Amino acid sequence: MAKPLVRLRVVEVGLAAALLALVVRAAQVQLVEGRRYAAAAKAQRTEHVVLDARRGALYDRHGTALALTQETYHLGIAPNELRDPARDIGTIVRQLHLPRADLERGLHRRYAWFAGPFTALEVQPLRSMRGAHLEPVLRRFYPSNEFARAVIGRVGEDGRGSGGGGGGLERLLDSLLAGTPGSAVVLKDREGREYESPARVIAEPVPGNDVVLTLDAELQEIAQRALDDAIDNMEADGGDVVMLDPATGEILAAASRRADGSMRPSAFTETFEPGSLAKIFAAAALITFDRVRPAERVSGEGGRYRLPDRVVTDEHPLPSLTLADAIRVSSNIALVKFAARLQPDEQYGVLRAFGFGAPTGVEFPAESPGRLRPPREWSRPSSASLAIGYELAVTPIQLAAAYGAIANNGVLLEPTLIREIRTPNGFVRYRHYAQPVRRVVTPDVAAKLRDLLRGVVEAGGTAERAALANFQLAAKTGTARRVVAGHYAAGQYTASFAALFPADQPQLVVVMKIDNPQKGSYFAAQTAAPVTRSMLEQALAARTVALDRARLSNVATTADRVPLEEPDGVVPYVVAWPYVSDSSAAQPDRMIPNVTGRPLREAARALHARGFHVVVKGWGIIHHTWPAAGEHAAAGSTVTMFAEPPPLRR
Amino acid sequence: MTFRGRHWIAFWLVALLAALWAVIARQTSALNSARALTDLREERASLEGRRAALDRRVRTAQSRAVLLPRAQKLGLRLPADTEIILIPVPVAAPH
Repeated sequence: MAKPLVRLRVVEVGLAAALLALVVRAAQVQLVEGRRYAAAAKAQRTEHVVLDARRGALYDRHGTALALTQETYHLGIAPNELRDPARDIGTIVRQLHLPRADLERGLHRRYAWFAGPFTALEVQPLRSMRGAHLEPVLRRFYPSNEFARAVIGRVGEDGRGSGGGGGGLERLLDSLLAGTPGSAVVLKDREGREYESPARVIAEPVPGNDVVLTLDAELQEIAQRALDDAIDNMEADGGDVVMLDPATGEILAAASRRADGSMRPSAFTETFEPGSLAKIFAAAALITFDRVRPAERVSGEGGRYRLPDRVVTDEHPLPSLTLADAIRVSSNIALVKFAARLQPDEQYGVLRAFGFGAPTGVEFPAESPGRLRPPREWSRPSSASLAIGYELAVTPIQLAAAYGAIANNGVLLEPTLIREIRTPNGFVRYRHYAQPVRRVVTPDVAAKLRDLLRGVVEAGGTAERAALANFQLAAKTGTARRVVAGHYAAGQYTASFAALFPADQPQLVVVMKIDNPQKGSYFAAQTAAPVTRSMLEQALAARTVALDRARLSNVATTADRVPLEEPDGVVPYVVAWPYVSDSSAAQPDRMIPNVTGRPLREAARALHARGFHVVVKGWGIIHHTWPAAGEHAAAGSTVTMFAEPPPLRR
Repeated sequence: MTFRGRHWIAFWLVALLAALWAVIARQTSALNSARALTDLREERASLEGRRAALDRRVRTAQSRAVLLPRAQKLGLRLPADTEIILIPVPVAAPH
């Protein structure tokens, strides 16, 4: 046995070796593998989280929110943490409308997860509940679910417009709306739960831009309801309505619906043959190239005109027609005869200049360019077909833009859906100004075309039923055979109508299309025209619709064109729903009150109170009325107020 | 008076305690701020949710789908264009 000293040495050496090994290992852990262990430790107690950026909102032109991003919640429940499970389950079931059985089944697990998402209001009572863990998630919210759905589209399942299921403007504007996500580091405990601690923000999320659309919420609702009613009442396959401001190209309403209730953006993406709606463009070419005199007449051929390859017919033939007559009664024969004076290049050039056969440039994904074949691809009847709106495929938005050019003194504008783009802090990044594409016709030709269209709404015109009593309209009807699977379908028609309101200084272009109306008449004059009239009446009565009423009050009204001796019909001032026409039971005569010396508004109110209609001449203080004060007139008849500016005070 | 060993020990102990107290105070304050921030965020989210719900109700109540049937029941109707009088805007007289 070794001596104690030796044993002590051995122990010392052993301890020294152990200590050295410890130091070496410590050095290895700290110096060589230190970074790896530090990273592992950091990963165990911290977590990188993505901070979602709030998606920008969509507004209508008046600031009404159409699409917003809202914080919603997923719910996790840790059953062992609940203080009073029976009471807490009751609260959760009541607040979140979850089936009690599902909840109770979930509570048998270690952790129950309910994806929801639940709104902030729903989860409010759960915030203070121990064991209920809320996970916020941003979610797109549409205050009015059906509003302009085809145009606005929806975000995909990932909350992005570009994701699967996304579409419409949400998809197109995704890069503007989405914003930039941020990131942060949060501390977590050994169970993986986040500590309640200030997150270390690495990058703040940048919210997306807000986009103000050109849509007018009230006009859109008017258009949607009118279209829904028309499709239901006429048992049609579907339809579209487009309303556009011709001075700016801004689309005020765009509604599309199919009979099954689905909403495809067909106003932008689906084409149809416009039929008689295109006759005005043939007239534009004829006037531009001076191929027809205003008084020049062609024979109506008794309603049947044989061409080498086809027979052209008219529903209501006239013995002879001028170009104005041809547009007024929508004569195929007269238009075909007049259009024969045009060279194919001229006819094609004008149609192309009006924007047919090319996308309008509106900011909508997958806009259809339509179809307009160049003259080298034409067959012998192509010229005649194009004159009456066949062999030409257009979208409703193209038609609205083309009629807008007629309203806008001959200048074609690029239609738009975007009015303004604002940064999250309110700065305007982009504001829309009218984007002229080209001058299509001279202002003089445009005025002549508007005159032709005005005739369509007058007595004897095809759109007589669209006429408003007080405002002049310029319009055109179109009833065209419908193409289904590449062939004309027997007995199927597309009824369409285009209107400029009012005829002078138009503020609104309305294009309405009804696919295959089956109940009642299929003619546009009896289908799309009266619906358009109803939409215009509603727009006039609405308070916030984007109409410039000051300008509207100064344009020539229908009343201006009717002599005072011929009252414009008797319309009861107050009648019960449903509306009863003017020719209802005679109203007793009543005395016209004396409103001389009173301001216009007050005088109008006094006459309305007595049941009279009012037409105003001049402005200021009432000088006299016709019929005069004290005379008797039927309730509902029109009283003209003559006003003079008030005398200047010195 | 000269500092002895025990004084130095006491000094460093006090300094250490002061530093620890400062760290804990800052942590506590940060946690309180974080809690207040979370509460405010929740309150804002709740108010936004409430506003969105109210917006939706207002929008629905104002919609034609709701208003027109009620108006019809009351014997009201949309005015014809003949019943809408637009008062002409005065044109400024030349100076």
